[in-house]
Amino acid sequence: MRSHPHRARYLALGTTALLAAALIAGCSSGGGSKPSSSGPIIIGTSLSLTGDFSTDGIAFEKGYELWVHDINAHGGIMGRKVQLDILNDNSSQTQVVTNYTDLINVKHVDLTFGPFSSLLTAPAAEVAHRYNFAFIEGAGGSPLVFGEKLPDVFDVALPVANELDPFVNWIKSLPASQRPTTAAYPMANDPFATPQVQLAQSELQPLGIKTLYSKIFPEEEPDYLPNADIVAGKKPQAVILGSVDVPTVAAFMKGFEEQHYNPKVFVAAAGPDQGSAFESAVGGPGNANGMMVPDAWYPGYPSATSQAMVNEYVAKYGGTASGVNADVAEAYSVGEVTAQAVEATHSLSGPKLIAYLHSGVTLTSVEGPVSFNSIGENVKAIAFIFQWQNGKFVQVLPTTATGSVPILYPKTNWSS
Amino acid sequence: MGTEIAHAIADGILGGGVYALMAAGLTLVFGVLDIINVAQGILVVLGAYLSYVLSVHLHIDLLVGLLITVPAMFVIGVGIYWLFIRTLRGAERTSMTLLACFAVALIIEGVLYREFGSNYVSLNAWYVNQSVHIFGFYLADIYLIGFGLAVAAVVVLYLILYRTTFGRAVRATMQNQTAARLIGIDVNRVAALTFGIGVAVTAIGGMVYGSITSFTPNSGYDLISRLLAIVILAGMGSIGGALAAAVFMTTIEALVDIWQPDWSIVVFYLAMVIVLTFRPQGLFGRHAVRAQ
Amino acid sequence: MTKQTVAQGSGLLLLLAVAAVFPLVFTNPTATNFAVVTLVFVAVASAWNIFSGFSGYLSLGHAVFYGTGAYFLTVAANDWKLSAGAIFWLVPLAGLAAAVIAVPLGLVALRVRRHTFVVITIAFFFIAQLSASNLSVTGGSSGMLVPQPNWAGATFNNPFYYVALVIAVATIVLAWLVRRSRFGLQLRAIRDDEDRAAGLGVRAMPVKLAALVLSAFITGMAGAVWVYFTGEAVPQFVFDPLFDLAIVLMAFFGGLGTVAGPVLGALVLQPAQLWLNLEETNSYSSEILFGALFLVVILFLPRGVLPTGAEYLSKAQAWIRRRRAAPGETAREPAAGADDAITPTSAPGGAA
Repeated sequence: MRSHPHRARYLALGTTALLAAALIAGCSSGGGSKPSSSGPIIIGTSLSLTGDFSTDGIAFEKGYELWVHDINAHGGIMGRKVQLDILNDNSSQTQVVTNYTDLINVKHVDLTFGPFSSLLTAPAAEVAHRYNFAFIEGAGGSPLVFGEKLPDVFDVALPVANELDPFVNWIKSLPASQRPTTAAYPMANDPFATPQVQLAQSELQPLGIKTLYSKIFPEEEPDYLPNADIVAGKKPQAVILGSVDVPTVAAFMKGFEEQHYNPKVFVAAAGPDQGSAFESAVGGPGNANGMMVPDAWYPGYPSATSQAMVNEYVAKYGGTASGVNADVAEAYSVGEVTAQAVEATHSLSGPKLIAYLHSGVTLTSVEGPVSFNSIGENVKAIAFIFQWQNGKFVQVLPTTATGSVPILYPKTNWSS
Repeated sequence: MGTEIAHAIADGILGGGVYALMAAGLTLVFGVLDIINVAQGILVVLGAYLSYVLSVHLHIDLLVGLLITVPAMFVIGVGIYWLFIRTLRGAERTSMTLLACFAVALIIEGVLYREFGSNYVSLNAWYVNQSVHIFGFYLADIYLIGFGLAVAAVVVLYLILYRTTFGRAVRATMQNQTAARLIGIDVNRVAALTFGIGVAVTAIGGMVYGSITSFTPNSGYDLISRLLAIVILAGMGSIGGALAAAVFMTTIEALVDIWQPDWSIVVFYLAMVIVLTFRPQGLFGRHAVRAQ
Repeated sequence: MTKQTVAQGSGLLLLLAVAAVFPLVFTNPTATNFAVVTLVFVAVASAWNIFSGFSGYLSLGHAVFYGTGAYFLTVAANDWKLSAGAIFWLVPLAGLAAAVIAVPLGLVALRVRRHTFVVITIAFFFIAQLSASNLSVTGGSSGMLVPQPNWAGATFNNPFYYVALVIAVATIVLAWLVRRSRFGLQLRAIRDDEDRAAGLGVRAMPVKLAALVLSAFITGMAGAVWVYFTGEAVPQFVFDPLFDLAIVLMAFFGGLGTVAGPVLGALVLQPAQLWLNLEETNSYSSEILFGALFLVVILFLPRGVLPTGAEYLSKAQAWIRRRRAAPGETAREPAAGADDAITPTSAPGGAA
């Protein structure tokens, strides 16, 4: 038995354990000052700046930062400036829990904003709940989040399942001879995409629109072409695609083009709402023409604050108005709702804010009116359907809503 | 239904070709050097980004751009081997080369993120969205090109291995390193050049891959898993076998897509597991059970 | 009882005492949060090492066991409507579920060697992840919530801490016992040269399978604790490809095949990763750093920090002893120390 290497090893282990403990203790005692009532208001949030959700995480970051910049230009909240403390959760469940624990217990933030994605919002909301923080967020709208039935969760964005309602209503409003007679419902296996498409299918089938294809495919498919080919082969007049990102839509569009197949109407759950990222991925405005997508907001939304926000975004980050990602508006709305709640209750106390937000009051945001039910859903959120027309992203449905332009139907053919 | 199945099989075969093209470098390195280069996924993505830069910033056509990206990737491959892998030997060689390649993959991925961010991009050219009309359906041009390139790559690699002096040195190294050294082969040089060739072929795979689908630096992970499955299913070192294995797997997947697309990827991996249970050396593997 | 054993024993007891009072001293929930996550990974890295480190079969599919344990606890906690404290009793059951899964997986995978084995474990990983996304019993791609306790925020993490501590300590003890036992010797013989070991009478398949089942049991428990702690089971997070790579790095960093190695690796790397994300919000430099660190370890510390470090320490001690000995008189030094990890001298199955 060689004991010397043993000793060396255990010595090393012991030292490391102590070092690890010291590191853990050290980083958990440093940081923020105790909350005061006259310094800046510190708002903490965890965003996915790297990892799977990074595109949206970064858009959210820009939205939050834009709002902070604006609110401070108008004197802050309750006369105090606002400061943002953003941590990166790397799209990781473990990290988001650590981050909010840290923000609340070490950095001693006054308020919290939500992270990106329901998958991260659910665990994060539990942490906030534990410490009696109001948790206002704009990206956690799936049943997973609301299933917790936490009183502190407030989702300013549109609940996911109803996003396609205006589309369905429009089809219903068409005379029977003009409606598409057949439809395909390909869906990515994702809690965001599947519910709304399935709901749409259940409403369109009774109208006599024959379902030629209704299947769920893996969310991270290396190659969507075989699926696109199968759908194209059936030649449905309408395609309602449950996509979650630009690559999925782009792949289906590409597959359809290669099969020389063009549906009369094509609506995708997500992707066409990503502005210039979408347009360039599909090869330009010619191909994008006619593509429809639901959303609660778009850069052209006719509200003064929304327009102001869009102009500022373009001024600060460049690009054009149509390139502004809807995530930015969602994040901005989170800030707006928070500010209104704090001003109204004149306090930063979590329980007071929670009580106020659950009182049925209607607040305003760049995305329209906001009012929460008992589990935190925004029941006044409006759904719109948008369409690309000649390189512009315009609102088309509901036809009666202010700002809607005539819908382009049937969809024009591919032209890259 | 008949056309549908025929179309799916055609898609499967062509798709298999594309994967074989991406996996060719991996197979070569595995067969000759007994190294599983888990950086292969990100190297494909790197090849795609290189083609992207040439196409978007210098307006060089994708196929023409290969004249630049292939030698560039060759140099990168030789560099990776020489700096990080050459010195690894001994008992833990399998794990260590695996981890070294993974470390290299992490670094490449980080660099790509810094350069390009996480937005999806894809490669475009006039032939990327065109298709040919055959048997009552359409086959995308880019897949046909990809399949053709895959076959060409297999042929070229075979020619190199079996018709050149260098190839003979490579095969000698593959069979018995010590003996090869004894007859005067510079094993390190052969290894480095082989690795370089493997990565160079990957440049072509990257170009086709990027034309078929959008990609980001994160795309490497799903890719490498599929490529590994194909290579292991084919068996050690069989390049033509990798083409067959790839076609086998992607065709099954495309057929499953007709009925249950959500299980198609599971079937892909399950097929591999089942084959390996009965034939541990892979479909075309050479060695018998002892050293598998 | 030699002096050294006493010294080692009391040192370990001291360490245990420190660990036991850690949450009482460092009461900030962030500290205990770090600790819980770190201890979970200490257990997983050690468990992985019990199988892969000792037997030489590199598994990149341990997330399957982690996930099985996690989903078992989630489904059971939802279906059986247990109280917050009682949910902890599901943890060993979750481990059992993972152990049961390990049997058929092991019977299939352990028939092949080296690279093929690694790739089969990867295949199992994807099959598990995708199946969890498709099946309704696991909640599909939306995932499922784990009922969370209503405990006060200030001490919420502490019960998790103690459960994780118990599991981690038990795993380390287990690893130590395995290493010293005949079973451990058989495993190392398999690692060195499986066919020769078989020729000497070691029944390879049962031995390998036993190690895998043991490893799976612990990993499943760790997954259950983690999922209860963070509150949700979602396929893409539960079955995370980087999970397996992180464990491998930890075990490697500390020293593959040793008892203390994976513990060291987890103790250093897990808090470092959490901390790095807290401090370095800017992007991908952390990834590049990780990759570079990896390469450094592989190229310069190929047997891991601990064995190499221990070697240096021994060499230093020997050097000091030589200096202290009077000229002409050779120092009484113990036989030069190769550590008692039997260093493998040939790759399993053939020439390098």
